[in-house]
Amino acid sequence: MGVMEQQVATRSPLIALLGNPNCGKTALFNRLTGARQKVANYAGVTIERKEGSFTSPSGRALRVLDLPGAYSLSAQTPDEAITRDVVAGLRAGETAPDAIVCVVNATNLRLNLRLVLEIQRLGLPMVLALNMVDVAKKRGIEIDTVRLSQELNMPVVETVAIQAGGEQALLDVLDRMPLEPTAPKPLASIDAVPVEETQREVRRILDATTSYAHDKGNLSEKIDHVILHPALGPILLAALMFIIFQAVFSWAEAPMDFITGTVEGIGQWIGGAMSEGPLRSLIVDGIIAGVGGVLVFLPQILILFFFILILEDVGYLPRAAFLLDRMMGGVGLSGRAFIPLLSSFACAIPGVMAARTIQNPRDRLVTIMIAPLMTCSARLPVYALIIAAFIPDREVGMFNLQGLVLFVLYALGIVSAMLVAWYMKRRSGSGQHPLMLELPAYHWPHLPTLVLGLWERAKIFLMRVGTIILTLMVLVWFLSSFPGAPEGATQPPIYYSVAGMLGRALSVIFEPIGFGWQICIALVPGMAAREVAVGALGTVYALAGSGDEVANTLGPLIAGSWSMATALSLLAWYVYAPQCLSTLSVVRRETGSAKYAWMMAGYMFALAYVASFITYRVALAFGGG
Amino acid sequence: MTLVPTLTTLDALKAGQSATVIHLAPHALGGQDVARRLMELGFVPGERIRMLKRGLPGGPVAVKVGESTFALRKFEAALVSIQPE
Repeated sequence: MGVMEQQVATRSPLIALLGNPNCGKTALFNRLTGARQKVANYAGVTIERKEGSFTSPSGRALRVLDLPGAYSLSAQTPDEAITRDVVAGLRAGETAPDAIVCVVNATNLRLNLRLVLEIQRLGLPMVLALNMVDVAKKRGIEIDTVRLSQELNMPVVETVAIQAGGEQALLDVLDRMPLEPTAPKPLASIDAVPVEETQREVRRILDATTSYAHDKGNLSEKIDHVILHPALGPILLAALMFIIFQAVFSWAEAPMDFITGTVEGIGQWIGGAMSEGPLRSLIVDGIIAGVGGVLVFLPQILILFFFILILEDVGYLPRAAFLLDRMMGGVGLSGRAFIPLLSSFACAIPGVMAARTIQNPRDRLVTIMIAPLMTCSARLPVYALIIAAFIPDREVGMFNLQGLVLFVLYALGIVSAMLVAWYMKRRSGSGQHPLMLELPAYHWPHLPTLVLGLWERAKIFLMRVGTIILTLMVLVWFLSSFPGAPEGATQPPIYYSVAGMLGRALSVIFEPIGFGWQICIALVPGMAAREVAVGALGTVYALAGSGDEVANTLGPLIAGSWSMATALSLLAWYVYAPQCLSTLSVVRRETGSAKYAWMMAGYMFALAYVASFITYRVALAFGGG
Repeated sequence: MTLVPTLTTLDALKAGQSATVIHLAPHALGGQDVARRLMELGFVPGERIRMLKRGLPGGPVAVKVGESTFALRKFEAALVSIQPE
């Protein structure tokens, strides 16, 4: 086979799925490709690029690209710019598609058809997929597909993306299409007809092809009267958040214990099988314990995303953004920031990544910058240790004092985040940004989509644990283990290591906020992941054992050796300090520059120091020394 | 004497009230042509729209246009001149 033929064989025709947001495009993509998907980013930006492949009934191999949802080719968001550039063949590294499948929501042709007419002007081969046609029929919307095909001068097929076989008609048409590479016409041709005129054309086509005479409407408006109610809406939202939080913490307990137990079991098994030495220490203390310490958050992340994906699927999330826009707009955030910030309570990493859904670059940056101020679950082990050791377990009114302190720490994070956002808004001084958020019709969640979504989240998280976090853990282990303790050492070995030297050097800086060298040493490995600090404190106080055991025996020990002022100061420190290299590395990747990661580290350290200083001094003044 | 029907802007429309779009004020913001996007979403002169729900005072409003519902911030809604029914 010659080189030419090989190239032809490897380059199967590319079709692009294009449509408005909320048209069921991604569901159709999943239906066509199943698990044969490659998810990556478009070069240079953090917009997801989803490509898949499938074989048509006649055995034709096709590649399919799921383009970001767009209302128009006159792009106003980074997502829309990608869609525009790919279909117009302007994006470097992407070939223009050989055919376009325009996916439209059959219940909302009034909005969706305009984009179809616009894309048609590019002159590429096109098929119209009337998706969600089952819902339209149930509602009594009658669409004359033959007439529609004549009016649009392109094949029109009915699809039901969420039903097995619902893609059949589309496959049949794709089988018959010639699919020769076609050069798209220049983008300027979409502006040949003014928007108003295109909208008139949409109305004319609708009048000729579609009858709403028997339209029974849907329940969405009635539901919205409750969900969007100025008083009821926020109450429902708060109740929902409460339930999600409860679930994240209570449902996750058993699987988290299971992961901890398994990781410890593996550590002990390997530890027993290997002889004492640096290699065993690296594998058991560095890799297994370190990676296990992060892996343990997988259940919480999956539970949180379970709720987020369901709420997204039924169409609630844009409503939550609507309800919160007034409040969040006050500090310069978009209502859309709600989802990333909610995710950050489990872990800032998925939170920072979820900020991709915010279209305005400035709003997105502010959201990323404040996401780590939301109390992530990695702070809980540290909070739990210190609160149990220092805060008396007694009732104050109807509240438990320990619970109250925990609540204050959470609230402090939220309030600080709002203040930082407000400050950034004042600094940048820019005015209001458009919201223009579609509130799509409600529908039942679709289980296979949910499972696929959760699987993707798990994969992303596990990939990170296996790469960046693993590397960091090995690095931290090296810093804490070398050089070893000298002969006749009186202090625990970590005291003499690089981490120990760093910690002792740092204690000069941290002495004014009440941290002794022991705490400073624990802060160093705690940089990799906050909860590692608990284990590190255990090492410093020469304790052996796993996290929970250490926490149990460590409590009384630190209660005896730290002052109340030091304990409160350390709590304040943990509210603000950027004690997580993984978050900073994600910020660097998501913002595309190291600048914002450094800025984040800088402002959070500064806040942490000031907050701890004030806390320490005030506590001393009140006799907490 | 004929009563001149009062023109107003969309942000002033009461919840549940319908209106016809008369005109869109041109408004460009940081490279984003807000008025054009509103037209693309269906807010074209002559189109009948309805205020579905108003949020908290000063917050966004939910407007029904065609088969869609859009949440618009106050300043966006103020770009749409309407003739209330």
